[in-house]
This record gives sequence, structure tokens and C-alpha cells, in this order.
Amino acid sequence: MKEMKLFLGPQHPGMHGNASVHLFVDGDIIKRSYLLPGMLHRGFEKQMERKLWVNNIALIPRVCVPEPDINEMSFACAAEKLLKLEIPERAHWIRMIILELARISAHLMAYGGLGGPTGNYTLMYHAHVDRNLILDIFEKITGARVYHQYIVIGGVRMDLPQGIDKDIRDFLDGLESRIGEYRDLGIDSASIIKRIKDTIMLPESVVWELGVTGIGMRSATDKPYDLRKVMPYARYDQVEFDVPTSNYSDARARLDIKIKEVVQSIRIIRQCLDKMPEGEVRVKPGRGQSMRWTVPKGYVYAPVESSRGEFGYYMVSNGGTSPWRVGVRGASYPQGLLGVEKYLPGTRIDDAALWIDTMGICSPEIDR
Amino acid sequence: MSSINNIDVIDQVVLSLSKPLLKDVIDQHQVAYELEQKDVFNVLSALKLKGWKQLSYLSAVDWPNEVKFEVVYILMNWEQPSYVQIRTKIDRNQPVMPSVLAIFPGAKYYEREAHEFFGIHFPGNPEYEKPLILERWDDIPPLRKDFDPSAYSAKKFPSRTYPDSFSVKDENNKILEKKAEKRKRAQNLRTGGESS
Repeated sequence: MKEMKLFLGPQHPGMHGNASVHLFVDGDIIKRSYLLPGMLHRGFEKQMERKLWVNNIALIPRVCVPEPDINEMSFACAAEKLLKLEIPERAHWIRMIILELARISAHLMAYGGLGGPTGNYTLMYHAHVDRNLILDIFEKITGARVYHQYIVIGGVRMDLPQGIDKDIRDFLDGLESRIGEYRDLGIDSASIIKRIKDTIMLPESVVWELGVTGIGMRSATDKPYDLRKVMPYARYDQVEFDVPTSNYSDARARLDIKIKEVVQSIRIIRQCLDKMPEGEVRVKPGRGQSMRWTVPKGYVYAPVESSRGEFGYYMVSNGGTSPWRVGVRGASYPQGLLGVEKYLPGTRIDDAALWIDTMGICSPEIDR
Repeated sequence: MSSINNIDVIDQVVLSLSKPLLKDVIDQHQVAYELEQKDVFNVLSALKLKGWKQLSYLSAVDWPNEVKFEVVYILMNWEQPSYVQIRTKIDRNQPVMPSVLAIFPGAKYYEREAHEFFGIHFPGNPEYEKPLILERWDDIPPLRKDFDPSAYSAKKFPSRTYPDSFSVKDENNKILEKKAEKRKRAQNLRTGGESS
């Protein structure tokens, strides 16, 4: 049969964000493929060099659309490392609540995304309802639903509002009671299980070759390789949580870990609400005028565990009022570009969207 | 398993193979070295054998005043949690850095991106000159400091110019007259036809 070229994306219900996968198919089987990024390239790294440190806080959440808070955290951590700044104790705990809520919402979105390529839209709608409840909580805390600009250099923008404790706990109780439903609709549903069991494999050798992190790595190596555990930032060393792993990485195992991580995040947020001390939430970051403060010279890399893996900012300061260079290490960069080129071939066309979904690929952070 | 020991292990590996120009311990999990260009390949492969087998990031920094590009490699070891930054400065006018594809296959696209945004050449990487993110780019690589986005934008998308006789009013378009008529009628209704 003649080889034919097909495009998956940039506008496709199975694609997450605007990136196009070029597929060369023979019948049903993909023979060659590559990702064409660049449709969401907005020149963030150049823009950041031209803005003040404070201004950048409004820009960076846009790097990753489904999970913006990791950008703020990574940027703030990097600048605080350069400034050698100790932020107030309460701010650490508030940051953890925000990050874990964001992780749940990103996991729900990715897990619900399973509904698109498999045709089970009920799952997607259920997941989006719960995600919306998280966005409501974010709106109460930060005033914004998607791009919060809440975690800033020196702490968080302002303290939690009155009565948010009850809202969060109510939501967590509700979500916990619905975890069984999510399993039944998704990974335990007979119609979906055929598509995800024993397909879309990710062997351990591929993990090390590409540099895949996050759920992909933990599902293949069976080791708790989670940055929150191995080099805790914020106060992750003071809360108890498990890192779910598996030793057989098919699509189902990775989705299973996603659901288990949601349960762990619920556990972390409850502990944060219990242990959080009272006090200040923000300190002034540097010397100088109110906005035009400077950051000392230095090179630093600040990694954060996102819902897709290791996400980090490489930051260089020359002592000025804006960063000299900011590099973004997107968590899905290795599997999104090299993975699609090397390991997508061999799967069927209808599994390509599932491949992209379960490998955790987010195109805006590849393009920046 | 203390993380201070990890940094000692990195220190041993780096010092046994090269003379670092600069060492900087950033925190208990991260250390940075500035090396000469010829030592980079050996140090990276030795670190990979010792367990730093994940290439987390590869990019470059532009230092126009020193006429240098600085290429950065960040390696990660998950067994002994620690990051190591390996940096090296190369000539800005003849930017050539041998590819590390043989050690880290994952470097393929990072090097392509560094070529696209800085113009650094990576001999050894077969596809590094292919464009990746920017489509039909026709200027100097954009992350160089002497590239000015505002000037590029003004050149690429010139702003409209209008002649002095320009008017938004279109002879065939009666919408403004109709609106005036409507306003007048409404005023007549209010005031009972008397002019105010």
C-alpha cells in the first residue's frame, strides 16, 4: 500500500493545545511521524529579558495553560535562590495548597482528556465539572480562575480569604467520594480498557534515553522518582504522602497512577490546612525602588514537580532589574519531540491521540 | 545518603578530568562548574557513567560584551538526588560546539533549538540546522542580545499611513446621517417639536 501523509492537529479533539503531528501511514499503522511545534510560540524567553522581575509574574503563567502555577513557583524559587531570600513560613504552606489544587485540576483535565479519543465524553464532562469547582476555589483565593499570578517572589500575593478552609475541605470530601466513579468511567470501563491495556508501552530503557520524567518515569522504573520526595521544596518534607509507582508501563498503568496521585494530593492539602501556621505571607524581595529592585548575579536552575514531570526555570541574572536570560525546561519536551519521532511509529492511527494524552504532552511549554 | 556527599562525588569526577575555571555551590542539591570547551565532552560522559544520566536542560546564554556564548548542560541524578550545571564559553563570532548526541540522545532537539535561537553550530548532530519552532525566519537568531523585537516588528509589520485628505466618511454610506436623523426624532418626541 502507498504511504500516505495525515495530520493530527493543530485543531483536533484529541490534541492538547495547538501542535500538529505529521503522520506517514501505511494502512492503519503509523510508519513515520514528527511533531511540528511553533503554533503557540510567543517568544516568552525573549520577552522576559525585556521586563522587570515584577512584571514577569504576569507573563509566566501563560507558559503552560492547564497548570499555570508551577511556572510561578519555579520562577519564584529561582529568584529566591539568587536573592538568598527566606520567605515566611505560612507562605510555604499556602503555596503547597495552591500547587496541589493545580495538580488535581491538571490531572483531572488529562484524565478527562481520555474521553476525547475513546469516545466516552461523559468522563470528560464529569472531570470538567470537578475542575470547575477547583477554579471556583482559585477565584476566591486569587481573584482569577486560570492565570492566578498568586505565587510571587517573596511569598504569595495576599493571605487566604476568610472561610476558604471549609470550601476546600468540602470540595476535597466530594472529590474523594467520586474517585470510584472516575475509575469506573475511565480505566475500569470495559469499552476503554481494550484501548489502553497492554498498548502504548513505555519501557524503562526509553525513559532513560529520552529523559522522560514524572508519571512516565515512575510507571516504568517502579521507583519513587518524584522531586517532592527526592529534593523537597516548600514544606513537602513535613507532610506525609506516597508516590504511586508501577513496574509495567502501559497506558492504563499511567492513568491509574494519575488517579492515585489525585488521592495523594487530597491527603497533602488536608495536612496543609491542619498544619498551616499563622503569620505574614510576603516579604519585600530586594533593595531599591518599589518595583525596580535588582537580583544579584548568578546562574540557577529551579526544578518543580509538575503534573507531567520535572519542570524548571534556568535563570541567569547579571545584577540588573530584569533577568538576563530565562530558559524554560518544559516537562513534556523530551517525549513531545523526540518521543513522537522515535516511538510513535508502530501504533495505529486511532491510538495516536491516546499516545499523546497518556504521555502527558502539553504543547505550549514546548513552544514557549 | 546525604546530599552533601553527592556534591563531593561530582567534585571528584569533574576535578579528575579537568581544571574548572569556576565552581559555584548553589544549594545542597545543585552545583555549577565552568569548564574549558575541550573538557566538556569527557566530563559529561564520565558523569553519565557515575549516574547523572538524565540531561535535564541544554541551552545557551549570550554575553555580547565578552563576545562569548555560554553553552549550559544541566544533568540530574535520581539515585543520588542532585543537579549539576556544566557551562562553557565559546567564541561568539564562530560559535561551534561539538554535539553531545552520542552521550545523550535526548539532546537532539535541544541542540536544534539552540541553533535556531542563538545560531550555535553543533557538528555531529545530523539535523541541527533544520528549523524547528520559527517558521520562515529571516533575521538574526532571536535570542541574541543584539536582536531587537520592536525594531523587527516595526520593519516586518509597518504601521499604516494616512493622507491628509483621509476621512472615515463614506459618500455612499448613509449610516451617520441616519443616526443623526434618529437622534433628532427622539429629541423632537421629548421636547414636543420645539427646538431647545
